[in-house]
Amino acid sequence: MKISRIIVAPHELIHACRTVIANHGRFITMVASDECGREIDRFVVRYIFAHDGKSMLNVVESVLTESNCSYPTLSSMIPAASWAEREAHDLFGIFPEGHPDLRPLVLHDDWPEGVYPLRKDYALREKQERDSFSSWSYPKVEGEGVFEVPVGPIHAGVIEPGHFRFQVMGDSVLHLEAKLFYTHRGIEKRSEGMSVVKGLYLAERICGVCSVSHALSYVQAIEQISETRVPERAIFLRVLFAELERLYNHVGDIGNMCAGIGYAYAVNHGAHLKEQLMQLNDFIVGHRFLRGSIALGGVTEDITEEKLRYIETTLERVKKEFNEIVEQILSHDIVVNRFSNTGILSERIARELSTVGPTARASNYDIDVRRDLPYAAYDQLVFEVPTFMEGDVMARFKQRFLEARQSFQIIEQVINRTPKGDIRVPIGDLIPYSFGIGMTESPRGENVHFVMVGENNTIYRYRVRSAPYANWPAVPICVPGNIIPDFPLINKSFELCYACCDR
Amino acid sequence: MIHVLLEILQVIFIIGVSPLIQGIVKRTKAILQGRQGPSVWQPYYDLHKYLNKDEVLSIHASWLFLITPYVVFVTMIAVVAMIPVFITHTLLSFTGQLMLVVYLFGLSRFFTALAGIDTGSSFGAMGSSRDMFVSALAEPVLFITLLAIALPMKTTNLTLITSRAVTGHSPLLSPTFYLAFLAFLILVITETGRIPIDNPDTHLELTMIHEGMILEYSGKRLGLMMWSAWIKQAIMFTLLLDFCFPWGISLVVHGSMLIASFIMVFLKLTVIAIVIAFVEMSYAKIRFFRIPRLLSAAFALSIISILTNFLL
Repeated sequence: MKISRIIVAPHELIHACRTVIANHGRFITMVASDECGREIDRFVVRYIFAHDGKSMLNVVESVLTESNCSYPTLSSMIPAASWAEREAHDLFGIFPEGHPDLRPLVLHDDWPEGVYPLRKDYALREKQERDSFSSWSYPKVEGEGVFEVPVGPIHAGVIEPGHFRFQVMGDSVLHLEAKLFYTHRGIEKRSEGMSVVKGLYLAERICGVCSVSHALSYVQAIEQISETRVPERAIFLRVLFAELERLYNHVGDIGNMCAGIGYAYAVNHGAHLKEQLMQLNDFIVGHRFLRGSIALGGVTEDITEEKLRYIETTLERVKKEFNEIVEQILSHDIVVNRFSNTGILSERIARELSTVGPTARASNYDIDVRRDLPYAAYDQLVFEVPTFMEGDVMARFKQRFLEARQSFQIIEQVINRTPKGDIRVPIGDLIPYSFGIGMTESPRGENVHFVMVGENNTIYRYRVRSAPYANWPAVPICVPGNIIPDFPLINKSFELCYACCDR
Repeated sequence: MIHVLLEILQVIFIIGVSPLIQGIVKRTKAILQGRQGPSVWQPYYDLHKYLNKDEVLSIHASWLFLITPYVVFVTMIAVVAMIPVFITHTLLSFTGQLMLVVYLFGLSRFFTALAGIDTGSSFGAMGSSRDMFVSALAEPVLFITLLAIALPMKTTNLTLITSRAVTGHSPLLSPTFYLAFLAFLILVITETGRIPIDNPDTHLELTMIHEGMILEYSGKRLGLMMWSAWIKQAIMFTLLLDFCFPWGISLVVHGSMLIASFIMVFLKLTVIAIVIAFVEMSYAKIRFFRIPRLLSAAFALSIISILTNFLL
């Protein structure tokens, strides 16, 4: 993948980005960094755009001085940039002028003002006194019969923390405000100064269910810097792991969506199939979530011919059962009624918020990193990218089903076409202060990792734009107009992870 | 004397066996889902646990919240005292009994809904508001359905209805029976808070109806609320048996007949529990605002049943 850099002054940012968008650049994220260590005064903002189909990224860069660390906001032109700019405001204290909503995002209101943890002069283990009485401000709906329903951050099921404020009239939702980032672990701060080898372990642990995708994004960013050519066999095995990850997620999610409507038959059969796939993962790499399978410059372990055949027979069985269950689910008229026209994400909003993955594709936003910016061996494999027009829960359900069917096909091709050879090459030394951007398609959409290396093969700045980070802003927009009992279903249909959004 | 003893035994039987019925429903559902599931005795262990546990009470809870479990429990026992189980005689028996059953259910529901709002928790209030929405429709339908059943028997006294059902012609020949039976089945599912109306097994607070109202309870009071719900379920099942499948209910106090009738009732309750589990497994929860349609179907069925009764 080629990266072309455009370096401009802060006041030219808007103009430069508009030009890139006019040339069909798709906004991905904004990465801020504090680069005082390399004698730059002091902050750099980088807006990343992808040119789908051309295997090219555009990075629009601008340096902000410490004395005047403000820049014109792009959020009014690119709504998707809003979160990234708010995050940079929280963590670096750089100020997007004219931003429509600069409330705290990552660090909640109890965090002291004027303390910016991602600046280089902030020590890793520095503790802050929290003001637990500070209040959270959010838009409110007022009027007769309007009530507010607070939910979370602790939920009844064993799930991750997120706080939701429903403004309701009876059971109809008028407005929903989501407060996330309860599990902000400071992974990006922790990575700074770590060796790139150790960084891989950190990347794998950003999220439980997208381990392979995060690890792959990370190693691709590093390999881009070192210009490593990964052996053929390794790139095919990478595809195998990535698709096995997609499969167990999609199969599990399909069953799990039915939990939102209490359809126990589908929930349990989905869980049963997911378990079979996870035991398969355990058998081939020794980890149910496929952790430790990806290595810098290749993969950690070779998969024997015997194991490949075992995968083939297991998947054959799972596929048959999977088709039967989905057929059963889709012929149930209560399921069809509950799924259809619930939680509609319109194509316009899907595009404006730069949503990704099955969510985007179910709203007719046809993007898929595997096809548009191919990595690993995807350019040598044949597969289709299904899309749907409706953008409702039903579309997202069917989207996962069709994508899982493609994954079965991709794995079949990998099993039959993986060439012999090495599985790993050393990556060599990295040029200090160069950066790479790794992008992969996880089960939830594209995971983008920006890695800038420092001296002695260490990480200087690491920024992760996970798929849930891109999709979360779309969830509260889909809910108004539906009723509260439909929220769990809508939320499950997006199946977004909190941990890899919060990092 | 022996009558009174048997009638008291009947009440104790329903109260005592109600957790087992719940256990059978749960176990059957687990097996249908391909799980092993908890033992059928689990509800007894749960009850034992709750009744021996400390309570956590919200500081906002008023006397209303505190007395509700007792009101609900006593109401349910009062209803149990009125329904024939294995003999047609009951502790309380008078004309208009059927109406009182409906109103006693209403009383317990009224208190449960108030207790749901009392603590100020948003889930409790949501549960109460939804339960009121459902019951505003379910109550008149229950009334009409019971009327449809009472009409061919020409009485509203439960003892008489049951004894006439036992001695009379087989109801299986009459279309009135099938229509009223279907309507009553829908009501049994509504009143016991099962899928497709409500989901008793859910952990999703936002979708709860009955569970939402009792979410703030813990310890003894939670135990009583759960037990009351199970007793109500046993009552609904028994009423269904009394009206539609009364065979084997003993009319007179006679040793061997009583034993036979006792075994019959137990078997029939088990069968109903299994049938309900099958119904729950084959459906998903319907959209909340679709509940009126289901209940209006029950309403229409009972009206047609009443009409056929006059026409045929």
